Amino acid sequence: MNEQLRAISELDRVIHEPGRLMIVALLGVVKECDFLYLLHETEMNKGNLSSHLARLEEAGYVEIEKTYRGKVPMTLLRLKPAGRAAFDEYRKGLKAAF
Amino acid sequence: MNNKLQNYMDRPKRYDNIDGSGEIYMGLMFLGFGLLNYLQTVLPKDSLWSTNGFASLLFMYLILIPVLALGFWGVKAIKKHITWPRTGYVAYGAGGSDAKARKSFWAVMVAVAVFAAVIAAGLAWVVALERRHLGAVMFLGGVGYAGYLAFWVPLYAFWIWRMRGGHPWKWLVLLFMALGLLVIGLTGPGNFIEGARPVMLFVGLVWVISGGATLYLYIRHTKPPAPEAE
Repeated sequence: MNEQLRAISELDRVIHEPGRLMIVALLGVVKECDFLYLLHETEMNKGNLSSHLARLEEAGYVEIEKTYRGKVPMTLLRLKPAGRAAFDEYRKGLKAAF
Repeated sequence: MNNKLQNYMDRPKRYDNIDGSGEIYMGLMFLGFGLLNYLQTVLPKDSLWSTNGFASLLFMYLILIPVLALGFWGVKAIKKHITWPRTGYVAYGAGGSDAKARKSFWAVMVAVAVFAAVIAAGLAWVVALERRHLGAVMFLGGVGYAGYLAFWVPLYAFWIWRMRGGHPWKWLVLLFMALGLLVIGLTGPGNFIEGARPVMLFVGLVWVISGGATLYLYIRHTKPPAPEAE
């Protein structure tokens, strides 16, 4: 298998899905954000966003914290170190592939 | 694809000024400096505030701290009561290496300096045409002053560029700012010390008004989502 093909086949499939890539790309440059911000920036619906976040949490890439701002429920999201490392690897792989 | 990804990753940075609060804060800061400059000129020359180093420093803080505090708490209030409930909360600070941020900062500073120098040369030429009887020393002073005037144009241009397509009308604001600075340059005192006052007030007002307009448009085009489970 040539190097370019190998780079493509080794891309992290959890991150490679476009919806999750958007989420990880946004979380990668901030300390934390809430569910509403991701909803606004990714233009996904709540169901899709929730399922992608659940998948990322399951992979150990994202930390989800349910909290309150005043009396309003708020879901805080952070990229874990493992998620950051996986995203860096993914970007390197993408560069190598193209 | 990596470039598109990088562009997408810049969105949180642009989001910071989605409500115009950054511009309002910068504008208030410039207005604070302009106000301080004006107040210092009306102080009696032999007063304690002018002659005593510590007192003049205290006077500076007495003027600047309330203005900066107004900007700081004002921005916090806008974020807390308007922006976060409408389009979400973001905390910055992680992600992106420090070295990369430093490199970007210096690249921007060099670009602003070069661009300002080009505009300054043009402005100096216009000012020289207007005041043909200037001596060499005054001409050099005029060039320095023109550089000071020109500095504000690329600074604001960089700000608009950073928002990338968010508000194309801001380029007209930039044009207005450039024309206003040219008028101040041609009709104002013509030296840095006295010229800084109207320039600071003008630039500060432009930033505050532009930020206020952005805030108005943001409020008009967004509304808080109905509360429900996430």
